[in-house]
Amino acid sequence: MSSPLLSVSGLTKRYRRGVKIIAAVDDVSFHIETGETLALAGPSGSGKSTIARLVLRLVEPDAGRIRFEGEDFLALGGAALRSRRARLQMVFQDPLAAFNPRATVARVLDDPLRVHGIASRQERPRRIAALLERVGLTPDLAPRAIHEISGGQRQRVAIARAIATKPSLIVFDEAVSALDLSVRGQILRLLLDLQREERIAYLFISHDLGVISAIAHRVVILDAGTIAESGNARAVIDAPQSAIGKALVAATPRLNRTRP
Amino acid sequence: MTALLSIRDLTVTYRRDGGEVAALKDISLDIAAGERLAVIGESGSGKSTLALAVAGLLPASARVDGKIDWPGLGHTPLGGRDIGFVFQDPSASLDPVMPVGKQIAEVAYTHLGLGWPQAYAKARTLLERVRLPDPDAALHAFPHQLSGGQKQRVAIAAAIAAGPKLLIADEATSALDTIVQAEIVALVRQLVAADGMTLLFISHDIALAAELAERIAVFRYGGLIEIGAARQIVSAPRHAYTSSLLDAHLGLDAEPLSLQAGTPT
Ligand SMILES: Nc1ncnc2c1ncn2[C@@H]1O[C@H](COP(=O)(O)OP(=O)(O)OP(=O)(O)O)[C@@H](O)[C@H]1O
Ligand SMILES: Nc1ncnc2c1ncn2[C@@H]1O[C@H](COP(=O)(O)OP(=O)(O)OP(=O)(O)O)[C@@H](O)[C@H]1O
Ligand SMILES: [Mg+2]
Ligand SMILES: [Mg+2]
Repeated sequence: MSSPLLSVSGLTKRYRRGVKIIAAVDDVSFHIETGETLALAGPSGSGKSTIARLVLRLVEPDAGRIRFEGEDFLALGGAALRSRRARLQMVFQDPLAAFNPRATVARVLDDPLRVHGIASRQERPRRIAALLERVGLTPDLAPRAIHEISGGQRQRVAIARAIATKPSLIVFDEAVSALDLSVRGQILRLLLDLQREERIAYLFISHDLGVISAIAHRVVILDAGTIAESGNARAVIDAPQSAIGKALVAATPRLNRTRP
Repeated sequence: MTALLSIRDLTVTYRRDGGEVAALKDISLDIAAGERLAVIGESGSGKSTLALAVAGLLPASARVDGKIDWPGLGHTPLGGRDIGFVFQDPSASLDPVMPVGKQIAEVAYTHLGLGWPQAYAKARTLLERVRLPDPDAALHAFPHQLSGGQKQRVAIAAAIAAGPKLLIADEATSALDTIVQAEIVALVRQLVAADGMTLLFISHDIALAAELAERIAVFRYGGLIEIGAARQIVSAPRHAYTSSLLDAHLGLDAEPLSLQAGTPT
């Protein structure tokens, strides 16, 4: 069997809080296969975003190993790390915070193409138009400023930016949590289409178990920095074994649509 | 059943950048004394505008037509005393440099005519009622020393300190994780029942609204699409828009999207 796309083992990150040291992530291990969606769920403060930042190497772990595309990801530095970053992209909850609101849509998509040397200056406008169409937007959106488009359109632009560098893995941190229901459904379908066609894997962070059961293959449930349980998303949500898994399922509002 | 308040032909227009935004159009509805009414709808549909109009908190840039009467109150409501308001972001309603006990005591001092010692005693009781661990210590805590869920409990304590007839919660649990959300919703339900308060609960989460409220009003583009018993809205919606909201909800039993009909494009 070939090795997984991403494998994380013994990942640990501690932070100082006042006089105490807390382990935001404590000896966490998991893997993601090519084209697979792994969800991370858990209550607030359980370490989901810290894991995302560690995997993206936005922060460095205190212990643990990360292998990505067959390489020791933590050993990479300088140019090698920069070039590998193209393969590992991210989409966060609030795309306005990630982009300068006055930047145009074209500018936001031009950056990764330029930085990673993916397309020549002459070729870039055509590439940008193609990316916009890929995420279901019309190319005439390109000259608009980020603050002049809707939240759902911004999230599509963030996805277009993430796929611009042909990644094998995208990390989503609460990326659909702030969207209206109808828009959220469209974005999730877009993610599934992209995954099916380009074999991209997703590390999908959400506190919403409904979204997770709709999109994820497997789920890892975190509690206070450690893995409480993990497994097939359907199986875990149908019959959680851990206390925190049970609490999360019990706390999820249910919509009973049967006729009175 | 007497109406606590009665909204007739309410239209709210904001002036913005020389243009006008009609945030609410011709809304008429009654809120019965003691009922739990949820308002749901997508972003920009006018939910918060309705809450602000009811509470008399609309900005000066808003033009208001129509009227809101308070037959169940018998007088014009006073914000803070007759109406308690809890917002999505508890930090927005709490003063960062004042101990939370003082913030709650101040409401009781101002609106109930209590002296400071009694107002503080009341604050302590309220912190107990919203089930803050160690209420004596919490009296002296500053907002930044509390978690998001604890801050929201404090905001609820302050909102109910003067014994309001109406409690308005505008996305009050949206920023909290599901477990804390469920705790806060249970707390609100229990407080409203114990004090005979009326609840106006604003949320974009249709399942949460249906669990908490007796009636649900569905808003879209500033209009009231339909209003009815929560069971009826969820099981037998009259309007196609309500059905589409229900269909877009992803519950625990959500089928994988990849298996649902109509997925591929
Ligand atoms: N830079 C930091 N400095 C100190 N503590 C931190 C830092 N980042 C995270 N933490 C702490 O680490 C723990 C995990 O935080 P993290 O943001 O990963 O949680 P989360 O699961 O993403 O929560 P949420 O659902 O609220 O986003 C928390 O206790 C948090 O306070
Ligand atoms: N102070 C304001 N000035 C100008 N326009 C405003 C103002 N407040 C709200 N609006 C506009 O009025 C409309 C209704 O807004 P409102 O905040 O009531 O919606 P909402 O249903 O609460 O949305 P959300 O779910 O995003 O909170 C929107 O088009 C909004 O942009
Ligand atoms: Mg997080
Ligand atoms: Mg609002």
